Amino acid sequence: MKLHILGRRLLNSILPVLLAFVVGGIVIVAIGENPFETYAILLEKSLFTSRGFFTTLHYASPLILTGLAIAVTFKANIYNMGVEGSMLLGAFFAGIAGAYLPETLNPLLMQSICLVIGIVCGVLFALVPALLKAYFHVDEMVVTLMLNYALSKVLEFLSTGVFRDVTSGYVCTPVIHENAMFGRIAGLRITPFFFIAIVGFIVMLVVMRRSKLGYEITAMGKNAEFSEATGMRVNRKIIILMVISGVLSGLAGAGWMMSEKFHYTLDFSGSPGLGWDGMLVSLLGGHSPVGVIIAAVLYAALKTGADNINMYSTVPKEIVSVVQALIVLFLAAKFIDERLGVRKQISEMLARRKAAKAGEEA
Amino acid sequence: MDLIGNILYDTVYHSAPIILCVIGGVFAFKANVLNIALEGMMLIGAFVSTLVGFFTGNLILACALAVLASFALGLIFSFMGVTLKGNVIVIGLAINMLAPAIAGFVMVLMSTSNITIPGLNVADLQINIPVIGQIPIVGDILSGHPILTYVAFIGIALMWALMYKTRFGTYVRVVGENEDAARSLGLKANTYKYAAILIGAVCCGLAGVNLSTERMGMFTNNMTASRGFIAIAAIYCGRGDPLTSSLYAIMFGFARALAINLAIYAGPASGLFDVIPYILMVAVLAVVSVAQRRNVKTRGFVNG
Repeated sequence: MKLHILGRRLLNSILPVLLAFVVGGIVIVAIGENPFETYAILLEKSLFTSRGFFTTLHYASPLILTGLAIAVTFKANIYNMGVEGSMLLGAFFAGIAGAYLPETLNPLLMQSICLVIGIVCGVLFALVPALLKAYFHVDEMVVTLMLNYALSKVLEFLSTGVFRDVTSGYVCTPVIHENAMFGRIAGLRITPFFFIAIVGFIVMLVVMRRSKLGYEITAMGKNAEFSEATGMRVNRKIIILMVISGVLSGLAGAGWMMSEKFHYTLDFSGSPGLGWDGMLVSLLGGHSPVGVIIAAVLYAALKTGADNINMYSTVPKEIVSVVQALIVLFLAAKFIDERLGVRKQISEMLARRKAAKAGEEA
Repeated sequence: MDLIGNILYDTVYHSAPIILCVIGGVFAFKANVLNIALEGMMLIGAFVSTLVGFFTGNLILACALAVLASFALGLIFSFMGVTLKGNVIVIGLAINMLAPAIAGFVMVLMSTSNITIPGLNVADLQINIPVIGQIPIVGDILSGHPILTYVAFIGIALMWALMYKTRFGTYVRVVGENEDAARSLGLKANTYKYAAILIGAVCCGLAGVNLSTERMGMFTNNMTASRGFIAIAAIYCGRGDPLTSSLYAIMFGFARALAINLAIYAGPASGLFDVIPYILMVAVLAVVSVAQRRNVKTRGFVNG
C-alpha cells in the first residue's frame, strides 16, 4: 500500500474521533464544566498509568473478540447484529456450567468445559439467522435484531426462575465456582482471558489476511452475485462466516463471565452491551483485525476513563456514550477520498458542481 | 367476552406506534434508502415530548418539539447518507445509539431514571366516542384511544394515497427503482430521498409521542424496545406497500395483545410470553421470503 493512501486512511479514522470529542467538549462546556480537564482525566487514568493500562487491556479483551466477530461478517456485507445475542447466550450457559459442575474438577478442565459450552451456545444462536439467510434469503439484520430481543427476555426468565440464586437479594444466577474463574495476574486486573483474546486475534489475522476464506470474504463484500457467478458457493460461505462469528462472540461472553462478572445479572453486558461495542470497534478499525485490536484498546480506554470521570469530576460518565455514538456517526461518512486526497477531492467536487449547473442551464 | 374485548383494545393500542413508524418508513424503503434509524427517531420523539411536557406542561408544544427533534435526526441522517454518501446502515446504527445516549445523559443531569409528566392523567387524553363506545366489541376497537392512535390508522389511507395517487409518490418510487434513469429525466433524486427520509422522521416522532406521553405520561430510557426494528420487519414483509406493511404491524400488535392478556393465566411462565411477538415476526419474515422467492428461477445466490 502506498504511504500517502495509508496516511489518508489513518486520517479518515482519526478525524471522526476528534470531531466527536469536539462536539462532546461543546456539550461539557454547555453544562458548565471544563472539557480539557475531563478529557485529561479520561485519557491519563486509562492509558498513562500502568494500573490503568492493564485495566484497559482487561476491558479490551471481550471487545477484541466481539469486534472480530462483527468484522468477519460485516466485511462480507452480512449485517449480523446477533453478536450481542450470541455473546449473552454463551455467557449465560458458561456461567451455569461454572456454577453447577463439581467444584473438585481440575481448574484447567473446568475452564475449558465452560469456554466450549460458551462457544457452542454462541454458534447455535448464530446458526438460526445464517440458515435463514443462506437458504431462504431472509434479511439477517432484522432477524438477528428480533432474536436478540427475544433472547434477552428468555434469559431474564431463566435467571428469575429456573436458575435464580435464591440467596442473593437481586436477580442473578449462582456465582461460578472458583475453579472456573480466571485469576488475576500479578494483582492487576488483567487475566488469562486477555491472552485468549490475543490468540483469537492472531487466528483471525491469519484467516483474513492469508487464507482463501479471507479473500472470499473480501470478494463477497464487494459483490456477492459476482462471487457466486465466478464459482464461489456464497450460501455455504455465509454459514461458515456466521459460525466463525458465533464462535468468537460465544468465547467473548464465556470469557467475560469467567474473568469479570462471575454470575449472570440482567445488566451483564452493560449499556449498550459488549456486542454493540464490538460493532463500534469493528467500524472504527475498518473491519481489519489490526484495526480492530487498536480500536478495542482505545475504546476500552474510554470505558476505563468513563469510570474515572465519575470518580474525579462532576461530569456524568454518560457523556462518554454520547461521544461513542458521535464517533460512529462521523465514521460513516468518508470525509477524505483515499485515492484522491483533500485538494483534488475539493477541486473535483467543484468541477462536478459547475458541470451540473452548466447542464441545467443548457 | 371481556377477554376478547381487551385483546382487541390492546391490539389497537400496541399497533399504533408501529403503524406510525411503518407508514413513515415505507417512503424511505421505496426510495431505496434503508432507514434503520426509525428506532432512534422514535426514542428521541418519546424523550423530547415527555421532557417538554415535564417542564412546560404544554402537550401541544411537547408534540411539536418532539417532531422537530426527530426531524433534526432525519436531517442528520439524510445529510450524512444522501449528501455525503455514507453507509446508511452505519449512520442508522449511530442514530440508534445517539438517541438513548442523549436521553441517558440528560436524565443523569436531572438525576432521575424516568421522567413523569406531573398532573397528567392519561385517561383524559383518550377520546371516548359517545354511542359507539357502548357497543361491546366494536366499541373496544373504535373508542377510548388517544388522538395519535386515530391519526395512525387514518394515516395508513393518507400515506397510501400519497404514495400511489400523487406525483410526489410516483417520483419517490421512480428514484428508488432506478436512480440513474430518474436523474436522466431531470428528477432531483437527492431531494426526493431527503423528503422520503424526513416523512419517516416526522412519523417516528409522532410514534414516540404516542408511545410515551400519550399512553403513559412517562419516559424511561430504551422504552421503544425494538419497535422500530419491528416496523422495519413489517415494511420488509409488506414490500414497502403502506397497506400491507401496516397489516403486518397490526399482526404484531395482535401478538403482543395476546401475550399480555394470556400471560395472566400462565403463572410463572408469563415472562416467556413477551418473546412471542418477536419470534412470530421472524417466522412471518421467513414465510414471506420463501413465498416471494418461490417463483424466482434465478440460479445461485442473489442478494436481497
